[in-house]
Amino acid sequence: MKDRVGLGWRPELAAGILANLARIDIVEVIADDYFGAPHRMRRSLKTLAAQVPVTLHGVALGMASSVRVPHKLVDHMARLVGEVQPEFWSEHLAFVRGDGIEIGHLTAPPRTLRTIEGTLKNLDIARAAVGMAPHVENIATLIDPPGSTLSEPEWLAETIRAAKCDLLLDLHNVHANAANFGQSPAGFLVALPLDRVSTIHLAGGKWIGPEGSRRLLDDHLHDVPDPVYTLLETVAARTMRPLTVILERDGEYPEIESLLAQLDRARAALARGRAQNAALAA
Amino acid sequence: MNLFDLRGPEFLQFYIVLAAFVVIALVFHRRRYEAGPAPKIGFDPYTIAFLRGGKNEALRVGVVSLIDRGLLTVRGENVTQTAQARSVTATPLERALLDHFSSERKATDVFKDGRLEEMCRPLAEDLQGYGLLPDETAKTRRWTATMFALLLLLGVSGIKLAVALQRGKHNVLFLILLTVIAVVVAWRVGNPRVTLKGKAFLEDLRTLYRGLKDRASSVHSGGATAEALMLAAVFGLTALPVASFAWSRSLFPKAQSSTSGCGSSCGSSCGSSCGGGGCGGGCGGCGG
Repeated sequence: MKDRVGLGWRPELAAGILANLARIDIVEVIADDYFGAPHRMRRSLKTLAAQVPVTLHGVALGMASSVRVPHKLVDHMARLVGEVQPEFWSEHLAFVRGDGIEIGHLTAPPRTLRTIEGTLKNLDIARAAVGMAPHVENIATLIDPPGSTLSEPEWLAETIRAAKCDLLLDLHNVHANAANFGQSPAGFLVALPLDRVSTIHLAGGKWIGPEGSRRLLDDHLHDVPDPVYTLLETVAARTMRPLTVILERDGEYPEIESLLAQLDRARAALARGRAQNAALAA
Repeated sequence: MNLFDLRGPEFLQFYIVLAAFVVIALVFHRRRYEAGPAPKIGFDPYTIAFLRGGKNEALRVGVVSLIDRGLLTVRGENVTQTAQARSVTATPLERALLDHFSSERKATDVFKDGRLEEMCRPLAEDLQGYGLLPDETAKTRRWTATMFALLLLLGVSGIKLAVALQRGKHNVLFLILLTVIAVVVAWRVGNPRVTLKGKAFLEDLRTLYRGLKDRASSVHSGGATAEALMLAAVFGLTALPVASFAWSRSLFPKAQSSTSGCGSSCGSSCGSSCGGGGCGGGCGGCGG
């Protein structure tokens, strides 16, 4: 079993990443940044993939929707995957458009059997075009989606079971949703089929809003908080699958050493979890 | 129809087409043997600088890096080793540079030092091994193709000149001029310093490091990070911020810059996994 720990590729972090490839096992590239990009930009991604394992992460397909995922975007993704040959690609279980209007935000759909049906159709379209199914990611939300008939773990579990997709488990999203809706993040993990988790996102956020109705915002602008490392340890203790852990940082970039230190903390959490896993197996 | 019976203007037109065909053939010949996927290489700044501008660029970047790290010090156009330099761990090239400046010397003297040239040889060999610079086989192949091209261009032109002169026509200046231009272009196209793979790799590095170039003004001197070194290696000394590295320009006034940096034409990257179709700015969080 070989767990890997890596970083989200951002142009601002490029120099730090490329100077520290010995400490970064994998990088995750935002695929949408390269949709329709000039040949030279896409070729540079292939060059990057020659140096370090690369995965592609989509943000704009809008899989979790009754609206069909746009063919143009799926074709862009298929072309990019074909060119770069990433280890895998991923997308969010969110909707980003409706009635022709782009929301510009990853939004949680109502958690119903009907939205699962729409999601499955979109995943089928994407799988057929790209040639491999995406790893699908749970998202953070500041509001409980109205009209839901299923809990979030129920909706996620049923979606990935029916779609036969792996889950990209964003642990800060788990942490934020649990904090915002008074739930137990550990209980959330128990309700998920962790054997379907192959990839994990780590990130940070901040508290917003007035006292009494505060919300934890998943802004990717802050360091990974301690409880998220604890969740990582829990997942590592409960699954036998090798995990690929990606740290996401989208702005207010610290020195690369700070991000590398967070990767080291993730490795340590994985190691603790794996030790528990081994002890249980023995 | 005998081509050499064509009248002057018609023959010049024919010759332009022939020269274009020859140049394109040289490009395709190189593409056949020199193009290919990017290799996996370590991001050694001196190797990258060597690929971009040869031995002198690697030495320029080395000197600037050592000054930035406080191992060499500047006095006007001269450079000398600091006390700190004697005990520091350095790469073989850096150690040779430090030894070179054990006594105060002009910075540009590094280009004349045979030992430093020798220390750069492994960089060239590595790059040849990766297929980014032409090795002996590639050079021979290029030489053969280019000689064939030059023979064709010079031969056709020469025969026409002989025919024209034999017929008492002396208005051959344009043909001579055109021949010189065609020969120079064919030579340059057939024998660039780097391979096509090397050219593409350099372009890709400039694209990958565009984020660093965009914030070059905030790159600090002092050697705390390798950012200044990589900026110089990939884009040339002229990419270093003037405020912190003004001395580098007075030491090496002829320093190269990258000639085809992507600059803003690479497009701006959102660089965010937030939201679909927009950077968002975090007002609603990322959620992803």
